[in-house]
Amino acid sequence: MRSEQEVEQAIDLYSDMIRRICLLHLNSHEDTEDVLQEVFLKYVLHSAVFESREHEKAWLIRVTINACKDLKRKLFRHSTVPLEVLSEEAASVMPEQMGILEIVLSLPVKYKEAIYLHYYEGYTAKEIGTMLHKKENTVYSLLSRGRELLKQKLGGDRNV
Amino acid sequence: MYDEIREAFDQVHATEQMKQSVSDYLVEKRRKTANHSLRFRMRSLIPVCALLLICIGIGNWYFWEMPVSYVSVDVNPSIELTLNRRNRVTDAKSRNRDGARVLEHVQLEGKDYLEAVELLVESDAMQPYLTADAELTVTVASMKAEELLSGLENSVVATHYHGMCRSADMETVASAHDHDMSLGKYQMYQLLSQYGSGLTAEDCQNISMCQLRELLSQYEAGREEAVSSNELENMQVGCSHGGQQHHHHGSGHHSE
Repeated sequence: MRSEQEVEQAIDLYSDMIRRICLLHLNSHEDTEDVLQEVFLKYVLHSAVFESREHEKAWLIRVTINACKDLKRKLFRHSTVPLEVLSEEAASVMPEQMGILEIVLSLPVKYKEAIYLHYYEGYTAKEIGTMLHKKENTVYSLLSRGRELLKQKLGGDRNV
Repeated sequence: MYDEIREAFDQVHATEQMKQSVSDYLVEKRRKTANHSLRFRMRSLIPVCALLLICIGIGNWYFWEMPVSYVSVDVNPSIELTLNRRNRVTDAKSRNRDGARVLEHVQLEGKDYLEAVELLVESDAMQPYLTADAELTVTVASMKAEELLSGLENSVVATHYHGMCRSADMETVASAHDHDMSLGKYQMYQLLSQYGSGLTAEDCQNISMCQLRELLSQYEAGREEAVSSNELENMQVGCSHGGQQHHHHGSGHHSE
């Protein structure tokens, strides 16, 4: 079992990332809190030593995605994110970025997941493939198709 | 576009309330896990403690109740008492038919050895055997034989019935039991065998102590020939049992 200090440090370091991944999958703050609790409980109980911060981060991303999927399965929720959940972010997100966020979040999960991991977290297609248990080429396809969809939604005149 | 996506996601943060809720949840989980593991450890200790208590109980019971001393009372009835560490009778066994008849009328288990021997000797069932020529012999085998004999020598066994109090070693107990004889009678059988009486253990079981004592006196006085079959038959008739009771007037003593 990990020490309280170690866990508090991880909460500070990774809560934002987990919150963002939850935004891709879930509808409400309550569900996000459930996933945060579950992910960090798994972290507390995970006895293996992480080789590096990157290894730890990748582990947390994978656990978070699985926790979100499990929760959705359990709750029979729709995978699309209603825009109401974003209204909770309205106070902290600038209006122009809120538009982008809405468009990204309106994509099907498989695309927005790949786009988030690639464009925001900076993972390569190969790394995303390892994380999501998908072939590298499949990730390339997801990214390409995701970009297409984003272009369409943004009006087709922007270079993604 | 890359920057815009990055900037947009950059503004999404976990709220302080979310972080606090995670911390509170984990603290609660840790507390429950600690309590659970403590309860689990305590629960797993219960059978161990119970087993330990049972072992201590059995050990303690065995320590106090295990047979450590043997006292045989021989007239013709031969009765053997088994004593525990507290000198209390845990078992009373008859070693011949007369002994069985006497034991039918007295209850000795649980009594102190002196009380038991006095009760036995003074019982109505034993009185007919304690004739003038009866040889009341009390034999003790114990690690604390001196203490037990000292008690017996100050009891009615010696003071009123002038019985003989003897001690025997613990090895003799096992040999006597192998021959289904009381301790006192087995000692007498051993002595007579040494003189070449030719008596078997089975013969001795049916001969009263006074007859055996008389025979021993003869051998001690110089007799050499073995006991004949006619003599054996006469001896098995016994002393004057059932006759009027006379008490001996000799003094109690013991020999090794």
